[in-house]
Amino acid sequence: MYILDHRCISPQPTFNGCFFTGEVKINHGNLYYSIEPDYTDLIPKNLLRRMEKATRVGIGAGIPLLEKYPIIDGIILGTSTGGFSGCVEFLKQIVQYNEGTLTPTNFVQSTPNAVAGILALMSKNRGYNITHTNLGLSFEATLLDAMLLLEENEAKQLLVGAIEETSEYNYNIDSASDFFKEIAVPSTQLLQSNTKGSVRGEGAAMFVVSSKKDNALCELVDVAQFSFPQKNTIQEKVLQFLKKNNTPLAAIDALVLGYNGDNRFDFRYDELAEQFNDTSIFSYKNLIGDSPTANSFALWLSCSILEGKEIPKEVYYKETDKEIKSILIYNHYNNIQHSFILMRSV
Amino acid sequence: MNIYITGIGVISAIGLNVQENYQSLKNKKTGIAPIHLLNYKEKLLVGEVKLSNEMLVNHLHVATPISRTSLLGIVAAKEAWGNNQHHQDIRTGLISSTSVGGMDNSEKYYQQKLENPTPDISLITTHDSGDTTERIAKELGISGYINTLSTACSSSANAIMLGARMLQQNKLDRVLIGGSDSLTNFTIEGFKSLMIYSDEWVKPFDEHRKGLNLGEGSGFLLLENEKSISLTKNKPLAILCGWSNAADAYHQTASSPDGKGATLAIQQALKKANLKPSDISYINAHGTGTSNNDLSESVALKNVFKENIPPFSSTKAYTGHTLAASGTIEAVYAVLALQHQIILPNLNYSTPISETMLIPEVEWKINQEINTVLSNSFGFGGNNSTIILKKA
Repeated sequence: MYILDHRCISPQPTFNGCFFTGEVKINHGNLYYSIEPDYTDLIPKNLLRRMEKATRVGIGAGIPLLEKYPIIDGIILGTSTGGFSGCVEFLKQIVQYNEGTLTPTNFVQSTPNAVAGILALMSKNRGYNITHTNLGLSFEATLLDAMLLLEENEAKQLLVGAIEETSEYNYNIDSASDFFKEIAVPSTQLLQSNTKGSVRGEGAAMFVVSSKKDNALCELVDVAQFSFPQKNTIQEKVLQFLKKNNTPLAAIDALVLGYNGDNRFDFRYDELAEQFNDTSIFSYKNLIGDSPTANSFALWLSCSILEGKEIPKEVYYKETDKEIKSILIYNHYNNIQHSFILMRSV
Repeated sequence: MNIYITGIGVISAIGLNVQENYQSLKNKKTGIAPIHLLNYKEKLLVGEVKLSNEMLVNHLHVATPISRTSLLGIVAAKEAWGNNQHHQDIRTGLISSTSVGGMDNSEKYYQQKLENPTPDISLITTHDSGDTTERIAKELGISGYINTLSTACSSSANAIMLGARMLQQNKLDRVLIGGSDSLTNFTIEGFKSLMIYSDEWVKPFDEHRKGLNLGEGSGFLLLENEKSISLTKNKPLAILCGWSNAADAYHQTASSPDGKGATLAIQQALKKANLKPSDISYINAHGTGTSNNDLSESVALKNVFKENIPPFSSTKAYTGHTLAASGTIEAVYAVLALQHQIILPNLNYSTPISETMLIPEVEWKINQEINTVLSNSFGFGGNNSTIILKKA
């Protein structure tokens, strides 16, 4: 599967491209919020007014691609919860107003498939339309779904992507799951903090993928997932994955790893990295925070690296002189859900 | 390559397993009644599963907190899985789907928060849709490909479709697919806010229909490829031969009056199955009983089948609209129709919709020649999905 184009809204200036001129935002606290673009030229005002954050960020990243590529045979998105604040707003309406009719806007946008539906509606796209919601593997599932659809010849070009929103509401969920750092550190020190917990980010990354190599930025070779790993599972799985794709360990030039500064689980990335010599290592959650679909940012970053863009020094975890033509992305969510993505330059 | 359905499981307002559901369908016994278990402010008509959370937890021996959505899912998934064993040569996956996830627990938390300075925060750890699936996967020991879909009311039809594609593309040998949703204040108030919740018994395809009654439950099916059944020796119950997903691209919550998305979904599923419209023996319609859906679906049926519309019915008047679970619950009913050569009745119908004049089947009909069943699921966001099953 080939990637033709992408857009990314994140806690870094990625949408306007300033990220590649070295402009990196330092975040504080446990929540990293998206730098949202001016939506004036992207979303009609009457629609924008009623959109919750997850919706407008998803639409904001997706609609420019749907406008630029008139042939899109389907829309496949991943999100762990979609518009959760809309959900809670509606719950609040329910518990606070015992009488009368509630306003449906929050309810309608609370369904995780709202963004994929609205994108189809705005672009009059009647193709395959689906939303994967499998927590930390939601985005990987969208990639596999897209690869299948292209292999089946049911589609030639697709929009795939992920959306995640952070708010005080999912802050509660993640707090209850003991996700956060107890003592906040600035983003510059996140990966060296050596304490338990991490920080939460948000955003949307959208990609146009194609079965054809023409005009591609890079190739997404394969994606794999597994859950509930045992002691040596990661080592075994990465060997299996690379073997399946006829790629020896030495052929990997760079690793993009999901280090999030949580000293309970970051050892998994060390375990993987130990198997590779002389590879550059990139980290990104120190810039955008962690989220169930943070791996969509990893993919966006990997595309940018393979395209030869100027990458800010903050994402280099370990630098080598090696030219980067192939990248292995490894990520896990709370050490339960794990995934690999293999990328190549074209 | 054939995709075999070798296991089915269901829990709904009309029964706690496949056998009980079959008996209720046969006896025209609805499961819809005034609200009993859910803490709701009025005695609305709903299709509740007649077991409390405590009973389900005790029966399944699972750790709490756990959402009702997971509990219902585990019951149906276990029934569909049956006595199957894990096997090193059978790559086994799980695809579940839900629209509310752990909302039942989340709303308890927000209610507590209003009245109590120290609400039980562990309740909201079950909120995410993916948590529902993870609990089911753990119960069944599945650790490879696990996925969750959420496309509102077409969710589990899409799980069926994705499962079929995973087998066809040789990514898996066997996959358990399903959907699960529990009744919540959230969804009841949501559909009420859209003015499509009926205060009367739901009347699918009736001129005087006033909206839907919500239900809850779960349906699961086990799909296997040739290699898998050669090892498991499972007997196929039916074959999954057609599927399709198309967007209506008309309105965020309503279906188009010309049935565009639904028409596309049905046509594409027929094409996938390599069948003509006249090959379809019975249609299990989405038929939610809302003014909008039933008209749009009727128009779509006329678009595709012209003057020769096969016998059709909606079973929503038995179970209520079980949202994400409806696709797989109704796929289980489609398997029953093929196995027993029957047509399922559409309850509460009396007058045809004036615009389309279509008449659903209202009797339990036996000794029918049922070779193929087409089942529709349409959802919010214009998500339309159709699947086709044939006799094994």
